[in-house]
Amino acid sequence: MTYLFIIIYAISLIYFAFEERAKKFVWLLVIQGLILFGMAFFSLKEIEFFDFIFILTETVVVKSIVVPWFLNRVRRHNGLKRVYEPSMPIFYSVIIVMLGLIISFVLSNTILDNKLHTQFFTVAFASIIYGLYFIIIHKNIFSHVVGYLIIENGIFMLSLAVGSTIPLLINLAVLLDVVMGILVLGIFMNRVGDTFQTDEVNQLTELKD
Amino acid sequence: MISLLLILVSALFFVGIITKIKAKIAARKMPSILQPIYDVIRLFKKGAIYSSTTSLIFKIAPIVYFSSVLLAVFFIPFGGEAGLLSFHGDFVFFAYLLAIGKFMMIIAAMDTGSGFEGMGANREALYSMLVEPAFFILTASVALFTNNISFHELFAHFHIGSNLSYAISIASIYVLVYIAMVENSRMPVDDPKTHLELTMVHEVMVLDNSGFDLALIHIATWLKFAIYGSLISDFIIKSTWNLYEQIAVYLGVQIAFACLVGILEAFNARNKMNKNPQWIIVLSALAVVVFLTTLIITQKIILN
Repeated sequence: MTYLFIIIYAISLIYFAFEERAKKFVWLLVIQGLILFGMAFFSLKEIEFFDFIFILTETVVVKSIVVPWFLNRVRRHNGLKRVYEPSMPIFYSVIIVMLGLIISFVLSNTILDNKLHTQFFTVAFASIIYGLYFIIIHKNIFSHVVGYLIIENGIFMLSLAVGSTIPLLINLAVLLDVVMGILVLGIFMNRVGDTFQTDEVNQLTELKD
Repeated sequence: MISLLLILVSALFFVGIITKIKAKIAARKMPSILQPIYDVIRLFKKGAIYSSTTSLIFKIAPIVYFSSVLLAVFFIPFGGEAGLLSFHGDFVFFAYLLAIGKFMMIIAAMDTGSGFEGMGANREALYSMLVEPAFFILTASVALFTNNISFHELFAHFHIGSNLSYAISIASIYVLVYIAMVENSRMPVDDPKTHLELTMVHEVMVLDNSGFDLALIHIATWLKFAIYGSLISDFIIKSTWNLYEQIAVYLGVQIAFACLVGILEAFNARNKMNKNPQWIIVLSALAVVVFLTTLIITQKIILN
């Protein structure tokens, strides 16, 4: 079952490369949150009630409901329907994410450590690398937030790879990081949008003391 | 032999069902399901007119196109039984048979000397080139999964036993449906009903064809739809079922496929021309995911 979620996650990365609309990005983040819950739920060998509640909160409540809801509000506040043309054509982005997935799968195959769950490395590497690429090719603050969340999802999977139980403190820190990051970036985007009437980061280069 | 008969029968009604579904959704008066057949009979009765700028290539292209598609039909298996022709690696031969037909149509379009037809040929060649990796990666995945290299054996040994093999089947069917749409120049890549030459792909290539030749081109399109419908049904039909069950499911899949094409065409807008390559390359990316999944199932990639 875990492999099924891994495959669906890989497909979601391809659609991140293909889609252009901000609303679609938010929906893909919702789907990724649910996939992460499925992955964590089916892969953890020993799951206690508190752990279950925490994972449910982190993946479904935060990643699939709260963060997408907040992003949607930010999107509506700034009247953002379509993310502007990325600096790299979508055709190449799809090829890059495809190559990223292949490399990530092959690299995971070479890891011979029995203590690690290498199945999660497959898409975790691809997710982190693609998240960085996503931020680089977009000039829009909203897309940067989305890219940041793609990286965070990859880090979540890396945390699943290191053990049969998720270290609570690490995940708590990551969760806090995500929530604070999204809140700060969302408010930042609203302020930039209100001041410059745009959401492109290029505007910030003209700021002076 | 059964495969050939079933494909020929389903091809006759395929486009009729699509037109009927589209008319129903648009709340228009529905044409008869046999209307495309009447149109083709009418075309057969007419003589072909050739432009003075065309050469022999233009005259033989529709016949080569039709023959190549008809020959490709012979390779399609049905319910664990081989098609009329079958050998190791026949799926590669099958793909290039379809490519030969398309190549002839492309050079025939360029033979007319029309700028519009050259533009259509250019687009058709690009889309065919982009969709080819998706077909080959998909077929290679199924070949790896079943450890066989002929069309008939691929499907005869394709057993769905785990969640991942379900995922492979669903993803493969999804990719095949859209490969069929691209290969037949339908929505969202091309709009067969468009009236503007600048936005046409396939239709602009056959603007100079008339009468008998145009009828052959139409029939080849029907056959191609039925071929892809048969490939989709081969993922679903099990060789252990009895013949009547297999035929019933086959016809059900073909009708469902035709209805799906009608619904997709009714609700989908055509892509902008510059968005088509990126849309088609996604099919190859999905085929790569199917391939990676197959590597996991067959333990060529070992993960813990």
